[in-house]
Amino acid sequence: MSKAARLHPISAVMTLLKLLKEFTIPFLVFVVFGDLSLPLTIIVTCLFIVFLIVFSFLSWFRFTYRLEDEEIRIQYGVIVRKKRYIPFERIQSLDFSENILHQLFGLVKISVETAGSEGTEAVLTAVTKKQAETIQEILNQRKQTGAVAEQDGQEALPAVHEEIIYKITSRELVLLASTSGGIGVVITAVIAFISQFDEWIPFEKLTEEFISFALNQIFIVSILVLIGLLLAWVVAVIGMMLKYADFTLKKTDKDLVITRGLLEKKKITIPLKRIQGIRISENILRQPFKLATVYLISAGGTEGEGTGTVVILPLIKKKRIKELLSPHLDYQFIENFTPAPKRSLKRYMFRGLVIVLPILLVPVFFFKFWGLLGFLTLPMFIYWFYLKYKDAGWSIDEDQLSLRFRGLTKHTIFMQRKNIQSLRSRTTYFQKRKDLSSIMAFVKSGIGLDGGTVTDLERKDVEAVYQWFSRS
Amino acid sequence: MLGEPQKRISEQALTVWRISALMMTVIVLLVTGGVTAAVILFDWPVFIIFAAVLVLILFAYLSIYLIPLIRWRRWRYEVREHEIELQHGVIFITRTLVPMVRVQHVDTKQGPLLRKYQLATVTVSTAATVHEIPALQIEEAEELRVYISKLARVADEDV
Repeated sequence: MSKAARLHPISAVMTLLKLLKEFTIPFLVFVVFGDLSLPLTIIVTCLFIVFLIVFSFLSWFRFTYRLEDEEIRIQYGVIVRKKRYIPFERIQSLDFSENILHQLFGLVKISVETAGSEGTEAVLTAVTKKQAETIQEILNQRKQTGAVAEQDGQEALPAVHEEIIYKITSRELVLLASTSGGIGVVITAVIAFISQFDEWIPFEKLTEEFISFALNQIFIVSILVLIGLLLAWVVAVIGMMLKYADFTLKKTDKDLVITRGLLEKKKITIPLKRIQGIRISENILRQPFKLATVYLISAGGTEGEGTGTVVILPLIKKKRIKELLSPHLDYQFIENFTPAPKRSLKRYMFRGLVIVLPILLVPVFFFKFWGLLGFLTLPMFIYWFYLKYKDAGWSIDEDQLSLRFRGLTKHTIFMQRKNIQSLRSRTTYFQKRKDLSSIMAFVKSGIGLDGGTVTDLERKDVEAVYQWFSRS
Repeated sequence: MLGEPQKRISEQALTVWRISALMMTVIVLLVTGGVTAAVILFDWPVFIIFAAVLVLILFAYLSIYLIPLIRWRRWRYEVREHEIELQHGVIFITRTLVPMVRVQHVDTKQGPLLRKYQLATVTVSTAATVHEIPALQIEEAEELRVYISKLARVADEDV
């Protein structure tokens, strides 16, 4: 297995496209501000493109990988030659993804994830699916048996046990896409549309003709803007649908495997032992339908996502979470939380109003009486602060700490004691007077951190959590 | 009620914090001077000078006297066999527990001011968070670094 292999030649094209994307704008800036004569511009442009083509070709040509007994060896670099050896035992997972070009040629992109804090260790931009399977098999074999398997020659691999935990239905997909952040665009659009009229109606000194003309203009512009924003929303929805189409969550012996996407297919592998926690988020739009999104907090980085927090159930009825996940994940999906005491409600209200009231007073200052209209939103804010108070809670169940809290979205986070990197209690002078305290817990997520903060809990509760975590 | 951690940081931390606060105050002083000059030059209302001076005095009092004092009094730490406990904060009193098994590395560092007073800051890093114990006597800081890294090695586990 020590023959060096090249990537599929299409990877040269991919590199070229990527380079073009990155360098076109700087190049245009250079040409425009360089103030060159026309023939010179053409020559420079041709040279530039030829250079990029040569560079892409060379970077493909120079990139080789081979599988040794204990490691993957990669050599690359056009000007400076670089070698990278990645021992099999350090590889946590291989993540696969396919964009349209890949799919046309039956190829796949492999990201090698290691335990290092860097996340993705190496990327094989384009290999055939067959090769990818071979690499995965060899990796599995080497990881299971070490180098010993070599002596027995080609031994048949035990079939990998696979179980589908969840597969998205088309109804769920539509619901997911249409209730995602994109809806915010529409709401803003509607508000902008309505506010146009507010501003224009009180103009009295202008002639009637002009008013009708201006109103017409504004009306047309507003309609156009509205249509534009609607289109943006539709695009966002389609984007979400493409991203989460065919979303499937599977479990193999040691890993959770996520596959998703239509135009760009992705396969993400999360080793079970790298799991640091679970986060359930209930977006304010979905909460009335008792729908939630479930994330897995993993210590490994997932390529392109930045953090190790990965969606495992994009949209799910809240009561189904337990039944779906508890057979596979060693967490208790509890529902009974110890809430914040009644007296902290006042503090939640105070903390919110201190920020909201001055903001509401600004329009009063400018528009006098009509500015008071802003105060109509006050009940909404008060309800929000009440929800924040109501959703605050904690629970300890053996070795698991669960925290529940709300920003705009309600979060529930489950962490095991062994995965908590540090725990904090925080008390201000005013909290102390009321015998209240806040608790924070942090876990590792990719190269960063994730965690939760619950404010204004009973002080003795916070101390109990602190004591539970303390090892002395 | 939980007992707070026992060890304090060096008393010289106060001096260091006060010197850097003094530098900040000099800047505020310059701004106040500028404002005063502007008031005289452009004939602005005189109360602006009073307000500026008041701000200056308040800033000096808080940043040079009061805040360092509270901060120093509050700063406690304790390194036990299985965990490190920290307590700090002027308005928010924060107490932090860092299990020894989660410690990935320990550093000491010194700025010019700390070096002048033979002090050093110890930084404890886990896979996700970083914690600082500021202004310890340099020997103490070194000792602590060696001690923690020894304990952290013993308590080694998979992340």
